[in-house]
Amino acid sequence: MEPEKFQDLFRRLETEVGKVIVGHDDVIRKVLIAFFAGGHVLLEGVPGLGKTLLVKSLSRVLGMSFKRIQFTPDLMPSDIVGTQVLAESGGGREFQFKQGPIFAHVVLADEINRATPKTQSAVLEAMEEKQVTVFGESYALESPFMVLATQNPIELEGTYPLPEAQLDRFFFKLLVAPPSPPELHEILKRTTGAVSSEVSKVLSDDGGRQIGEMQQLLRQVLIAPPIEDYVVRLIHATQPDANNGNPVESPVKQYLRFGSSPRGAQSIILGAKGNALADGRVHVSYEDVEKVLYAALRHRIILNFQAEAESVTADQILAEVVKRVARG
Amino acid sequence: MQAPLDQNTQQGPEQLVGRLRAQLRRQALWDSLLLFAPPLLAAFYIAGYLYRVAWIGPLTFFLLAAICAAAGLLAAALRYRPLAPSAAKAARLVDERAGAADRFLTLATLEAARSSAPLITRLRLEAGEFVKRVDPRRDFPYRIKKSFYTSLTGSFLGALLFYLLLPVADSAFYSAPAPQRLRELAGKLAGRPRLSEIARDLQALAVELEDPRVAREEKQNLVEEMQKKVAEQQKKEEQKEDRDLLGQAASTLKSLERQSGAGQEQQENQAKGGGGIQSSLPQQGQGEGKPSPGGSGDQQGDLSAQLKKEMQQGKTAQGDSKEQGNEKNQQRQGEGKGNQPDPNKPGAEKEKSFAGKSQGGADDRGGRGKTPEEIPQGGPPAERFYRAGEQGREGIKGARYVTVQLPEDAAANAQSDKSGMKNAKGSQVGSKVSASNVPLPAHGPDAPAEKQPMPLEYRGIIR
Repeated sequence: MEPEKFQDLFRRLETEVGKVIVGHDDVIRKVLIAFFAGGHVLLEGVPGLGKTLLVKSLSRVLGMSFKRIQFTPDLMPSDIVGTQVLAESGGGREFQFKQGPIFAHVVLADEINRATPKTQSAVLEAMEEKQVTVFGESYALESPFMVLATQNPIELEGTYPLPEAQLDRFFFKLLVAPPSPPELHEILKRTTGAVSSEVSKVLSDDGGRQIGEMQQLLRQVLIAPPIEDYVVRLIHATQPDANNGNPVESPVKQYLRFGSSPRGAQSIILGAKGNALADGRVHVSYEDVEKVLYAALRHRIILNFQAEAESVTADQILAEVVKRVARG
Repeated sequence: MQAPLDQNTQQGPEQLVGRLRAQLRRQALWDSLLLFAPPLLAAFYIAGYLYRVAWIGPLTFFLLAAICAAAGLLAAALRYRPLAPSAAKAARLVDERAGAADRFLTLATLEAARSSAPLITRLRLEAGEFVKRVDPRRDFPYRIKKSFYTSLTGSFLGALLFYLLLPVADSAFYSAPAPQRLRELAGKLAGRPRLSEIARDLQALAVELEDPRVAREEKQNLVEEMQKKVAEQQKKEEQKEDRDLLGQAASTLKSLERQSGAGQEQQENQAKGGGGIQSSLPQQGQGEGKPSPGGSGDQQGDLSAQLKKEMQQGKTAQGDSKEQGNEKNQQRQGEGKGNQPDPNKPGAEKEKSFAGKSQGGADDRGGRGKTPEEIPQGGPPAERFYRAGEQGREGIKGARYVTVQLPEDAAANAQSDKSGMKNAKGSQVGSKVSASNVPLPAHGPDAPAEKQPMPLEYRGIIR
């Protein structure tokens, strides 16, 4: 696929999703980048901000299958991945695998932190392996496969916060902010009037192939070694234990328990490549890296008690890291 | 006819980066050379100066110059290495100047073999559009850095300081004897054909100065004559090197003259002071090592006689009133002596020797600090001229025991003076409890018993 075609499709997807989602342009863009990079996204925001609508719209414009799983404390892993059921077939009975809702291109794991860790881990295993195993038999998931999980940051009673190891499997963590007054006006116009906006499919019937080509092109985007080195230094700078030439030693040591994993660097590079392609470029620039840095690392750095006590956020730490690490 | 294409449009993005990099490397090289050139030149100047004034020989000069040059080049090379820009740095500069969003950086640093060829081609085409925006000569002209000016100023000041302070340091630290210095200078001057005559004269002067048979005045005259000769020759000389050498000779002669003058002055002082006055100034050259006559034992007696005579003159001039004024004290002192005999009182011989010592001490003090003219002739004799036991204005000379009057007693005395009360002896009322360090008399049968007051708290117990 040509880079121009990628850019054209990407813009059309953005525009189409933007028809129903007011504002959140950055969130839409990053969700699409994560999709073409083959990653999963954790959306965090208070209820009613359009998280579910965003995911639904995305699946529609992509022409992909979409399933929604509402996570509750009594949700079982088999409710997600599926189970073996005894079924009549040809005069006999045999176990047949009944697929769960995880078998879709786009899966919305709504309020993922409300399910028990056992159920969460079932989803997260599927995210990583792109397959599920039931009664010793493995079943491959759809391709492309993307999980968009949401979680509510305020209602924490009766929730099971995701462990750090599972958080690390999300490509991006996006913060869905409340709309501004003009955006709210626009939302009201679109949702309370007689005419409701509908999204249309952007990709052709052979969307799976198109998406595959786009994903392949994204990985071919050129990145200069100094920029790659910059990403490495950024990741290294988030390590509180690394004391050899860490330029942001003091805030990192003060507020972080753990730094980013190598997955963070992978996410940054792929996200930057997606951002470059979306901008019509075939090479990664330093700006691309810095644009996706926060989404890629904010859930991968673990704050300590002091940071919690002083209400220091991960984004603040990352801003300090970006400020102190020089470009190559 | 087609117009020739601009140089930048003919070349690709990589060539532009290469050109800029080469230009920046040249600039870095110039920066390094300019930074170390002034100190190097200053070092050459210093070495040349040292060679010119014949402090170092030609071999040392060339060796020093070679070491300086090598050190300068090494420093410039070490400085150049971090300043020389890499391809990535040059590419980033082009990106910043052209607003190319790291296209040149990517092209300059990318491993083409591991990257997608179509994308590289596309990137090269994109970057080509930005090439026209950058002209290395126009956008990155060479500017002399501030470090060069700092280095230049520092080096100039260093050389200037060296030029100004070297003669001072030379005279301060070069402590060879004067004749030897003159000989060395003569050796240097002998190398110059036009100064050979002066050199011979300096040699001759050095010989004269070392000759003990030549009188001091004569030596002084010789030095002065030589000084004049050198000054005249210095005026005639046109070459700077010769003038410098003559200047050194002149300064050496001047220092000789000073030393000689000091020696002469000291001699005059000794002559005036009859040998009792000895200069505390360091004596060098001709005046060096002359023993002061005041220090010899033979002449001490003469001096003592002279001082005694002066003292008597002073006493006579002092008048009767002074003697009367001292009479009271002398009388009291006499009474004190009579009342309190000193069991440890030394004999007459001892006293005599003590007086002699005292006189000698006074003599020494006078010899160090004052010239004979400063000794007052008509006034009262100084305390140091008193013999032991004699009453002076300040008290008894050589007294070993004193009796003091306590303040309350002095107040009582004053009161009694006012009321006109006097005791039967006609003397002032003495202190009730006199404080004295006079030893107590030997314990006799009629000596008053020493009373020990009993503490109050024990009185009841003992009763």
